[in-house]
This record gives sequence, structure tokens and C-alpha cells, in this order.
Amino acid sequence: MNDTPVFNAPNGTLQLPPQMSTLAPHVDWLYYLVFWCSVASFVAIVGLMTIYIIKYRRRPGRKSLPTGHNTPLEIAWTVIPLILLMGLFHLGFKNYMSGLVAPKDALQIHVRAMQWNWEFEHPNGTTQMNEAMLPVGVPIQFIISSSDVLHSFYVPEARLKRDAVPGLYTTLWFEVPKERLQGKKDVDVWVFCAEYCGAPHGITNGSEANTNHSTMRAQLHFVPQSVYDDFLKKGPPPPPECEGKPNVASCWGEQIYEQAGCRACHHTDGVTEQPGPNWKGLFGHNVKFEDGTSQVADANYIRQSILQPQAKIVAGYTTINMPPYRLSDREIDAVVAYIKSLGEQ
Amino acid sequence: MTVKAGVAIPGTPSETTDEELNYLNNKTGIKSWLLTLDHKRIGVMYLWSVLIAFLIGGVFALLIRTELLTPGKTIMEADTYNEMFTLHGTIMVFLFIIPAIPAALGNFFLPIQLGAKDVAFPRLNLLSYYLYVLGSLVAIGSIIVGHIDTGWTFYTPYSLEGNSSVLFMTGGAFILGFSSILTGVNFIATTHKMRAPGITWRRLPLFIWSLYATAVIQVLATPVLAITLLLLILEKTMTIGIFDSRLGGDPVLFEHFFWFYSHPAVYIMILPGMGVVNEVITTFSHRRIYGYMFVAMSSVALAILSFLVWGHHLFAAGMSAYATMVFSMLTFLVAIPSGIKIFNWLATLYQGSISLASPMLYTLGFIALFTIGGLTGVFLGTLALDIHLHDTYFVVAHFHYVMVGGTVFGFLSGLHYWWPKMTGKMYNETVARIAFGFVFIGFNVTFFSQFLLGSQGMPRRYYDYLDQYQPLHMTSSGGAYILGVGFVIMGAMFLHSLFKGKKASENPWGSAGYEWMTSTPPHPENFAETPVMTRGPYDYELCTEAELYEGFRSELPAALAE
Repeated sequence: MNDTPVFNAPNGTLQLPPQMSTLAPHVDWLYYLVFWCSVASFVAIVGLMTIYIIKYRRRPGRKSLPTGHNTPLEIAWTVIPLILLMGLFHLGFKNYMSGLVAPKDALQIHVRAMQWNWEFEHPNGTTQMNEAMLPVGVPIQFIISSSDVLHSFYVPEARLKRDAVPGLYTTLWFEVPKERLQGKKDVDVWVFCAEYCGAPHGITNGSEANTNHSTMRAQLHFVPQSVYDDFLKKGPPPPPECEGKPNVASCWGEQIYEQAGCRACHHTDGVTEQPGPNWKGLFGHNVKFEDGTSQVADANYIRQSILQPQAKIVAGYTTINMPPYRLSDREIDAVVAYIKSLGEQ
Repeated sequence: MTVKAGVAIPGTPSETTDEELNYLNNKTGIKSWLLTLDHKRIGVMYLWSVLIAFLIGGVFALLIRTELLTPGKTIMEADTYNEMFTLHGTIMVFLFIIPAIPAALGNFFLPIQLGAKDVAFPRLNLLSYYLYVLGSLVAIGSIIVGHIDTGWTFYTPYSLEGNSSVLFMTGGAFILGFSSILTGVNFIATTHKMRAPGITWRRLPLFIWSLYATAVIQVLATPVLAITLLLLILEKTMTIGIFDSRLGGDPVLFEHFFWFYSHPAVYIMILPGMGVVNEVITTFSHRRIYGYMFVAMSSVALAILSFLVWGHHLFAAGMSAYATMVFSMLTFLVAIPSGIKIFNWLATLYQGSISLASPMLYTLGFIALFTIGGLTGVFLGTLALDIHLHDTYFVVAHFHYVMVGGTVFGFLSGLHYWWPKMTGKMYNETVARIAFGFVFIGFNVTFFSQFLLGSQGMPRRYYDYLDQYQPLHMTSSGGAYILGVGFVIMGAMFLHSLFKGKKASENPWGSAGYEWMTSTPPHPENFAETPVMTRGPYDYELCTEAELYEGFRSELPAALAE
């Protein structure tokens, strides 16, 4: 399918990051072809320039010779680069197409970009925020969309990016070779947002994850197929950091709070004014809504507020429309446990 | 009775008895500047204005680089940072680079090189300057109104959200566009109709050829920017549904519209720089340019190709694969005329008599840096590589090599080259060379490290970054400070020259160019009498033995003396 030559450097080089896709060695070969052609051209041009400057420097008795004209020379330095460049164009287009057209049996993952989070949806409907568990050794096609402004799904280690455009599906695909696991349980690959998508005004936490364009990242955890199948059946497992903690669920809930971007709008200190209601002391508290009704914040209320945020709007919090967060049941339980741990009333 | 510029009135005591009449002393007072129709004075006013814009844009650049010294917050918050890079981009592009060479140096030297008394439409020329001032003020007004953080590209739908400062910035760019169009129209008309006797198309200085090609792009492409920005303003104020997908619009359409102007604009920026290089390289090698018609026509070819490659900014934007293929192929073609220029410059140096005065240093710097900028453009034109490198620091480094290493070095080369003619003063050559050293080294340290950042996967417009990128970011910031020091030295040198510089002779570089035939500073009407050109501007083969080393004598050729 892609028979262009390869340059293998799994752990990356001075110029390029590690190779985490089957496409990367092909792209890297082309990169180094262009690089060495460029170095040769640069050395030739600047080298000649330097030689001329020294040899023909102005000094008493130095006469400049009248300029001649040489049409064959002019044609030669027009046509020869043209042929070389068309060769490069051909190689570039070939590799581009192989990153664009996915194999028919590719695993399809939906990626939804929103300020400033990445939501991943697996074929069975399981969703993950700013992280995704994915299998190695299988071509994976990402079907990318955006629910607000332009974003760009960029995986440097796969050498691929594609913009997330509101109102349009875009796709890219790649496959992480099995050998990249190298006996480890999983291997992580970063996703960056490469199309500028802004920052909320007046924020002071710009270096925290998923609060603006520069921290809109996600981590793809590549695992063996069997682990991925298990994940699809049971939903995501609690993160390893929480194993052995007295309250695994609330620890996991706090992790989700950080990773899913809840933090951008909801604070947990009971003090700071944010676009969303503060979570401290929320559980068991009587909440007043915009339409005048009220309800005690119990597990059912929190579950509904995650899955259907527009159903009940807390009085005074109309400036930002929270998007629905499609978390798995276990994750919702964890978030409820976390809010509960922040204190009841 | 009005005093006509350049005409001594019999009986009135002339204030210029001890000094030759020139464009600076023929009239005095603030009004004589603000209402002047003299293209030279308008050029000088443009020069001051673009230098102020460059200073402001440069300060923003240093603030950006300081913020990026460390991951997380260094000196400012994320939204302030976003405002900084937006202002840096818009000011540098619309207020500095686009007008820098054509409107400042071009305004001054295009009519002189043509042996004309002024541009074809002097009043239009003054209007273009005031439109520039108005546009600049409106654009900078966006800072006062609110918070402009869209980037200089104003991509929708992000630019449709938020406050009205976007309206000011785009409104400013809209007005600046008209200033650009008027300059273009003026240059085309002047080049066609006002050439002095003897200046045939084949004797046209190559600076004029490049300004002419630039003017054609300005006149044809800038209206598209005006339409695009107008549509953006209408969409923002009236929500019509052109770019907003929720209303049936298409955000990618904005990208197409924007780059349909802004890609040709890249050539509006670089072609005049190449024009300066042509003038300087012949003067300081004392040799006719190699392949005159190839160099002239490569400017025209670049102007034409510039309209056909805008799609290469959208390779990752979800454009169809066929469109992508065509745009990639056309993009590769741009390398050909650029290459022709570089090869012909090398052939001009060959067997010349090369002087390394400061204007020539900047020109040689241009050739080296533009070569890097051009070669890294080949990476970006290669589709599979662009998909990795697009919107990373590799692109940032690439266009800074072209825009700063190319255009700014061309502008500085021209400024050093023509400074004595414009001001009548020489500057300190040693200090000029020291400043060049700082600028050249600082520039390369700043931007070469950004190639590595980008190829390693660091996206652009990032306030915060992963720790692994910090060493290269620190290197880049260090380079920016060296670059800043270089510009401070240069600024001090020029100011010193202005007040205490030695008087410049008519032709200090011994150039054969037409503009060096007139007095220094030039006569209010450029030449006291309409010159008749009996030779080309690069005819160094007509030199006598002595002149080949000493440079062309300043007086006009014998045919004119009669």
C-alpha cells in the first residue's frame, strides 16, 4: 500500500520525535531526503558566495569583468530544479494519500473537539475526555469534528494532523506497531491542538491542563488488543494512582475533574467565582434553578447535570452553556463520590 | 503667490545660498511636511511611521519571547499572551512589512530612478499616507476598545465570538488596504508614463521591476482582503451566515478568502526586498546584473504564481485531496523563479569587484537567509511533511526567515544603501557592521532553534508547553535579546548620523544607478533638468579603468553635459 522507502528511528532523532505510527518511518525518510538536498543546496549556494567574496574582493587593481550572457545556463538552472521538485511533489503526495485513506477494516473512533477538550467516543458508545485507550497493531481511523471553533488534532509522533472544523467531518488514520509496546503495559502518545482556539479572558490558571489553546491536549494510551476489548466491556478502569487509596472512587472522580476540564468552570474551594457553580458543599444542598424551581443536589441530580447539562440551569449561571459530558456509569459514580467527598450540608 | 518647488524666484533672497537647494531645505515648517506633495517627503514620513510600527511590533516580540522562557506563567497570563502575539503579527504585517519597502523607500526612489519629477498622482500619494495613518490608529485603537486575541489571521468562528476589538483591527486593516492599493496604482502609472527619455523597459532598474510586480499584486489582491474583512464585519454585526456553520456558512471559506489575499501579500512583502538586493549587489560588485531579463521576469512570474498557491495554507484544513494535490504542485513551482534570482545573484558576484560595505552585508545576509527560508518552504510544500509541520514552530521559523531574513534584511540593506542620498549624511560604518553582526547572529539563534522546536512537534501560538521543549525555547529567547541589542545599536547609529554625520557626496558607493546621478540630498524636482539616459543603470562595463575600482563618477554621462 505504501511502498516508499523508510527511515527507522523508533526513539526519534535530533530533528524528529519518536516514531509511533507505521507511517512515521516513511514520512521521516522523505524528511531526511529533503533535509539533505537542502543542506547540499545551501552549502553550494553559500559556499560559492563565500568563495566569490574572498576571491573577487575589491582591492587596488581588481577589475570586474563585464557580465556575459548564457541562455543555456539560465535554462539549465530552471529545468534541473524543476525536475527534482516534481519528484519531491510526487513522493509527498503519495505519503499524504496513505495518511488520508484509511484501510476498510480500521477501528473508527470519533473525536469531538471543544474549547479546550478532546472527547473520544469508542464504537460501543463509551466516551473518554482528554485521554483514550486504544489498541496497538490495528489501523485506527479518527473521525474529527468540532462543536465550537476551529481546532486541529495533531499527533506529532504519528506525523499527522487534521483540523477539526465546525460543520464538517475530517478524518485521519494511523496504526501504532505492536513492537512499540516493548513489553510495557501501555505506551502513551500526546495529542496537541494545533489550530489556535483562544483562552477565556481573565484566567489565571493558563498552565493547567485543558484551560486554553496551549494546554488543550490529550493522551492516547496504546494497549494490547485484549486489554482494549476488556476496556470496551467494562468502561475505563480507575487510574493506577488511585489503587490502594481509602476512597478509590473519589480519588478517581478528582482525576476526572482535572482531566475532563470540569475545572475550567467549576471550583472546589467554596470561594472563587467561576462560570459554573462551586462544588464545595454542593452535595445535599438545596439548589435553586433559573425557572424558579429547586431540588436537593443528590446523585441523580449530578448524573443528569453531567449527561444533560441544559435540563436544569442553576440560577445566576447562564453565561456559559455547558456541553453534555458522555462519561461511563463508573466514571459518573466516581464524580458523584468526589463531589460528595467535598462536604455535605 | 505660491512658491513653486525648485524654482528660484528672482529678486527674493534665497535662504539656500550656502547650501545647494534640496528637498529638505526648499520649504520649512511642520505644514510643509504634513501637506507636502513631494514623493520624497511622503517617503520620509512613511519611513518614520513604519519604523515606529517596527519598534512597537518588536517590543511585543520581546515580551512574547520573555514569556516563553519558561513553561507556565513567566511574566503574563494566557489571554495577555494571546493578545501580544496577535498585536505582534498584525502590526508587523499590516503596519510595517507591507508598506516598509514600497511606501517608504519605493516612494522616495521610484520617481528618481525613473528620472521623473514625482509620482503620477502626488495627491493620491499623500492620501495614501493619511489612509495609512488612519488605518494604523484604528487598528491600534483595538487595544483600547478591548482585547484582540484572534491572531493576525482572524480565523472564523473564533473571531466572530468575543468583543468588538476585532472590528477595529479588521477595520484598520481594511483602511490600510486602500492605502496599499493607492500606492500600487500610483507606481504602475508612474512606471508606464513617466520614465525619462532613454529609460526603456530593458533599462528599467530592477528595483522598479520588483515594485511594479508588487504594485500589480497590491492592486489585484488587496480588494479581496477588503471584501473578506467586510464580510467578517457583516457576519459579526449582523450574523448573516457566511462563515458560521450553525447558520449554514463555512469557516473554511474564510480561510480561502483570507489566504487568497494573504498569500499574494507574502510576495508584496518579499519582492521589493529582492529589488533592493538587485540594486545593492550590482553596486557593490561593480558588475552588471547577470541575466537581467531573467531576473526581471522572475519577479513577474512570482507575482503571477502568488495568486495560484493560497491553498497550501489549508493542507490540513479538510480541503479535497485533488485540490490539495494541485496546490502542492503549484507551490513547488514558486521555487523556480526564486532559484533563478539566487543563481543570477551568484553569477553577478562571479568575477566582480566586491566591497563588503554594510549595505552589501545585509544583501549577502538576505541571500543566505532567504535560501534557508526558501529551502524550508520545500519541506512545507511537500504534502506528507506539511501534515506534520503545519501550524508548528517550523512554519513560524520558515516565514520569519523569509519575512525577516528576507524582507527586513532587504529593507535594512536599502536603508543603509540609500541613507546618504536621503539624508545627505554618512553613518559610522564600523558601528553599522557591529550592528549587522548582532542582528545576523541574533536572528539565526532566535529562529534556527524554532525549526527544531517545530520538527519536534511544538505547535505555534502556545502560551504553555511541555518541559521537553524548554531548552530550545530558552535558546530562541536568548537570540531575540541579541537581535534586540543589534537594533538598538543600529538605531543609535542612524540617529547619530542624522545629527552629527559627515556630509555625504553625491555617489558615495560609486554606483551606476540613476538615482545617484542627482545631487545629495536630491533636488526638490529630483533632477534640476530632465535627464536623458544614454546608458543602463548597471553599465559598469562603460567604466574607465580608474572607475572600476573607485566607482562610477557622480557626474552625468557626457551626452547630458551639453
